[in-house]
Amino acid sequence: MITLSRRGLAAAVAALALLASCSSSGAQQAGPSTTAAAHTTDGAASGLDAARGFQPVRNYQATPVPVRLEIPRIHVASPLERLGRAADGTVEVPSRWEVAGWYALGPRPGDPGSAVILGHVDSKRGPAVFYRLRELRPGDEIDITRADRSSARFVVERTAMYDKRRFPTDEVYYPTLVPALRLVTCGGQFDFTTGHYRSNIIVFATIRT
Amino acid sequence: MRSRTGLVTLVIFVLVGAVACTHDTVDTSGLPAASPAAGDDATSTPVTTAAAGAAPKASPEQLQAQFDQLLGRHALLAVRLMRSVVMAAPDFRQAAVASLQENTDALRQLVGSAYGSTQGERFQQLWQRRADDLFSYANGVAADDASAQQSARAALMADADAYGSWLAGASKGRARASDGAAGARTNVEELMQQLDAYAAHDYNKAYQIEREAYEHMFTAGAPLAKASVTTKAAAGLDSPPNKLRSAFAMLLGEHMELIIDAQRATFAGSPEFKAVGAQTNANSTALAQGLGAIVGPKKGAEFQSAWADHVTGLMAYSTAVAGKDQAAKDTAEQKLHSFAVTLAAYFSGVVRNQAAFVPLTGAVTAHDEHLIEQVNAYAVKDYARAQQMELHGYEQMLGVADTLVDAIQQTVKPGLPVGGSQTGGGGTARRP
Repeated sequence: MITLSRRGLAAAVAALALLASCSSSGAQQAGPSTTAAAHTTDGAASGLDAARGFQPVRNYQATPVPVRLEIPRIHVASPLERLGRAADGTVEVPSRWEVAGWYALGPRPGDPGSAVILGHVDSKRGPAVFYRLRELRPGDEIDITRADRSSARFVVERTAMYDKRRFPTDEVYYPTLVPALRLVTCGGQFDFTTGHYRSNIIVFATIRT
Repeated sequence: MRSRTGLVTLVIFVLVGAVACTHDTVDTSGLPAASPAAGDDATSTPVTTAAAGAAPKASPEQLQAQFDQLLGRHALLAVRLMRSVVMAAPDFRQAAVASLQENTDALRQLVGSAYGSTQGERFQQLWQRRADDLFSYANGVAADDASAQQSARAALMADADAYGSWLAGASKGRARASDGAAGARTNVEELMQQLDAYAAHDYNKAYQIEREAYEHMFTAGAPLAKASVTTKAAAGLDSPPNKLRSAFAMLLGEHMELIIDAQRATFAGSPEFKAVGAQTNANSTALAQGLGAIVGPKKGAEFQSAWADHVTGLMAYSTAVAGKDQAAKDTAEQKLHSFAVTLAAYFSGVVRNQAAFVPLTGAVTAHDEHLIEQVNAYAVKDYARAQQMELHGYEQMLGVADTLVDAIQQTVKPGLPVGGSQTGGGGTARRP
């Protein structure tokens, strides 16, 4: 039983009357009311034939790995090395001060999920590849070049600093179905006792479609 | 290295659990008769259970999941109702109207549980008016009456603004009227645009917009849930696990609905089926890419291939039904069963036979049964039953999504890097 409101019911009745008077309109050639007819129509134009020829997508298009990072706003241009997890469970860091690294156990840039790229902020001699990362502001662009020379462009949403003891692991690494990019380096106070910074600077970026 | 094998193991248990929870509703021997009474289906849904007040108050995350589910389905039901007007399909329209009414009732209960019964009643009035105006727009399109379309459009925009005002008031200012109105306006625009395209036989555009309308409406569940709870409670809805759950629920629900669209388009014209097929493939790709980003490209590719077999089997059954070919139906059903067994064996192999094989086969089979029964009912114009199977199948997929993310939480998270990174070497970048 149709249970539209009184106004809707009146409209429904009017529609039925209208449709009864114009049952030969082109828009009526498809759909439930023509189910029986569809079985006997010309096969060349039927959904049945189209369904028989349907090919479900079968090939998985793996996104090529990233090989280069460029951030025009802060004059960063770096090849990317592959990073994993260290034996103590922490993320591996780039082996060279001037080169950034992609966390290869996570998503590839452009795939669903947050791709993570890390770089040093400095060495004992001076600035490193992500020295100016903290200067990035919303709207700044980040370009990734992949192994097949295709590229993906990301746009900065925000830049934030976190105490390493409260590092937002889920926000950086947890799976998502939205393509995103996270850039990570060090910041804040330097602890001369440990030889490490006490905080991390994280840039959150989303893909530009 | 992330524990991908462990994840697959958990996914299997998730699927088994999901079918165990829903199997009663898909047992074809016990299906209710056609034209179910209002609430018949709903008694088996988590939405109504929570909204009825008998169950403990839902968490914000549960509330959002219920809003996601109901709003997403609302968009699809509205699409189908509007198209049924243009298609001159009164029997199907009656079933679509009943489903939409049932969906509205469930939303009223849920809004009532979140905002209070008075607000639930007010929401229902707004939603009912919106449905009426969508119906009026469809009538205007069917009659090629530009004036009627314009009037309906104006009414729908007023409905959207009224929704925004209601949300701001009901939420005591937690949600802004302008935001609520903007989202509602976007959605009604999409619903009108898909119908315009459908009536013009531009099926590619119609089905593309259908997906957009579904996805936008599905994701409207979060702000509606957020606005009903405190700021502190709402923060949990932005957590990555909750966002992932919602995203998988949306894609899996969309898969179910697109297969149903494809099954039904088998009885329509070739261009319409091809348009649905393209969107079905787009959904499959999104699912495979999403899973691949979590479990790795190799397993993502394996999933894509297995999923293609799944879709192939379902379409083979549908074409056999549409072609009234009993022998082909029998063959297709056997192949579907064979596929379920193969898929179960595949997963068992991945986890070194540690997963229960028989229940896993049952999980895949239950999903197939929803779709088999849906197309069987549709072919004989038992649209009420077809809609009932659509509802049960949609809910099963969402249940899978819920627990899938639980599995990811248990397996992937322990493999994520611990703590911050030591990406500074000398202290030269420190600030005074």
